[in-house]
Amino acid sequence: MMRLAAAVLVTALVIPALALRPSPPITWLAAATLVVGGAGVVALSVPVVTAGASLAVIAYALALLIVEAPFGPVAAIALGATLVLLLALVHFAGRIHGAAISLRVIASQLRQWLGIVAIGVAAALGLGAGGALLAVMLRGATLPVVAAVATLGAVITVAGVLALLTREDPPMTRP
Amino acid sequence: MSWRSTTLNVSFLTLVGWALFLGVLTGRADLALVAVPLVVALVAGRRAVARPRWTLSREMSADRLFEDERVTVTLTLRAEGALPLVELLEPLPPRVRLERGRNHAFFTLRSGEEVRWTFALRCGGRQQLRLDGPHVRLWGPLGLAATETRHRAPQTVAVYPHITPIRQLPRPLRTQTFVGNYVSPAQGEGIEPGDIRPFAPGDHVRHVNWRATLRLGTLHVTRHHRERNADVVLLLDSLSEVGADGGTVVDVAARGAAALAAAYLARKDRVGLIEYGGLLRWVKPGSGRAQLQRLLDTLLHASVIFTYVTRELDLIPPRILPAQALVLALSPLLDARFLRVLTDLAARGFDLVVIAVSPVTAARAVASRSPVADIAARLWALERRAQLDEYRRHGLTIIEWDGVQPLDVALAALRRPRHRRWAAG
Repeated sequence: MMRLAAAVLVTALVIPALALRPSPPITWLAAATLVVGGAGVVALSVPVVTAGASLAVIAYALALLIVEAPFGPVAAIALGATLVLLLALVHFAGRIHGAAISLRVIASQLRQWLGIVAIGVAAALGLGAGGALLAVMLRGATLPVVAAVATLGAVITVAGVLALLTREDPPMTRP
Repeated sequence: MSWRSTTLNVSFLTLVGWALFLGVLTGRADLALVAVPLVVALVAGRRAVARPRWTLSREMSADRLFEDERVTVTLTLRAEGALPLVELLEPLPPRVRLERGRNHAFFTLRSGEEVRWTFALRCGGRQQLRLDGPHVRLWGPLGLAATETRHRAPQTVAVYPHITPIRQLPRPLRTQTFVGNYVSPAQGEGIEPGDIRPFAPGDHVRHVNWRATLRLGTLHVTRHHRERNADVVLLLDSLSEVGADGGTVVDVAARGAAALAAAYLARKDRVGLIEYGGLLRWVKPGSGRAQLQRLLDTLLHASVIFTYVTRELDLIPPRILPAQALVLALSPLLDARFLRVLTDLAARGFDLVVIAVSPVTAARAVASRSPVADIAARLWALERRAQLDEYRRHGLTIIEWDGVQPLDVALAALRRPRHRRWAAG
């Protein structure tokens, strides 16, 4: 059941890119996303699913670049929300594999995830609206600022990844 | 307890990095929006969780059981504060398998709520089963943070060797002074009729043999044989070991020793035990249920302790190894030191029966199936048969037991001289 739900989410990842333009490179990337993401779902492997999700983001970026579509926050936020749900679901499914679990636990987790995703969507909508407002106000001067902020964000991200990579999950004997 | 980030954070950060990097590269703000729910999730996952408090207790349905019996473990978890997601894992010791339920579970508990979790374990081999206590892991939102501790509450369960009923017990050649089930050559009070002799003052009227009296014309009484018990000493060889964990020759021998001890004790005999191995351990012959418990406790810990030292039987006091005792030796007959002990006992005139536990069967269970292994096993079995015949020619009474068929079947093949009449037990 969990795998089925995760498979649906993997499929949903490629929809924003294919909806923009189902051209050959995007279709190939979408197919690769489905294959890699599907393998991750079958194996309940978070790293493999992450690789598939990364391909989905690349396919979406490529589609945006090729089509030169106008700013569309809905598809982008939907993609981000799907990524959150997919990672949380696959991680949870991998943890509970072979364990005794009740529907109450699953329902509780689902409520928690949806709550966090709702906050994320609201934050994205707010940022999108704020960004659009700023774009109007600072037309012509926004690109260097955006580039500087994005570069800072990328540096922080890389630092965070390195910090987390040096850590491990708490040891716990698996059955 | 301290909260730690899980590797799921790396996945989230990777995707955030991709979205931001591609956003900068393509100059599309859409991709920055893709990253926002992920960043929010990361922040939410790192949200400080209140110090979790709970009480955990564990009960086990038995503290002593036999091989292949089941023990039920019940854990009760009570949340003192809310526990959004708690994971419990009770690691299983070797030679134990899950019979019912799961040893790994997830719960969501509100403050003050209590949950009972039960699973059953089947204990496959002789051991001192020890459950140290479950691992408790609490998960933060989305599984981005976790904290773990171990509920240290060690509990032990003694898993004794399985006791199979034995009817064809080797008969002791000599009896002792206490009342038992064996017919003694000595005359006295008993139910087994013996000689007939003329009546003497003091004889009980109910002992008068009326048929002989009528035939001979004078009063005659029937004498009776006393029913006596015997001393049985189980000699367990723990010098060498062959076979898979839980199915070694020592395990098989311990199983046989337990069955023999239970059977002889049921016949009111006194049973003792000597473990001859790296350590020389013994249990003084005794009778009753308490003695069976003592023997089982000793058999529980019987194991191979490697040594070059040869223990002499002279170290064993006569009260542990009485001269009149029937000695039942259980051994794979792989170590020359034990063979010397057996020949020594036989030379001293002990009533000795050797139950040769086959190492071929035990070794075959762990060896891979192949024609070469089959031929090797057959050759070994033939060589061993010839070896046992050689020992028999030297005067040892040996029966072979493969450990697979019941010991009763192997003992049925034993032919012993009938020095005394045998009373039904």
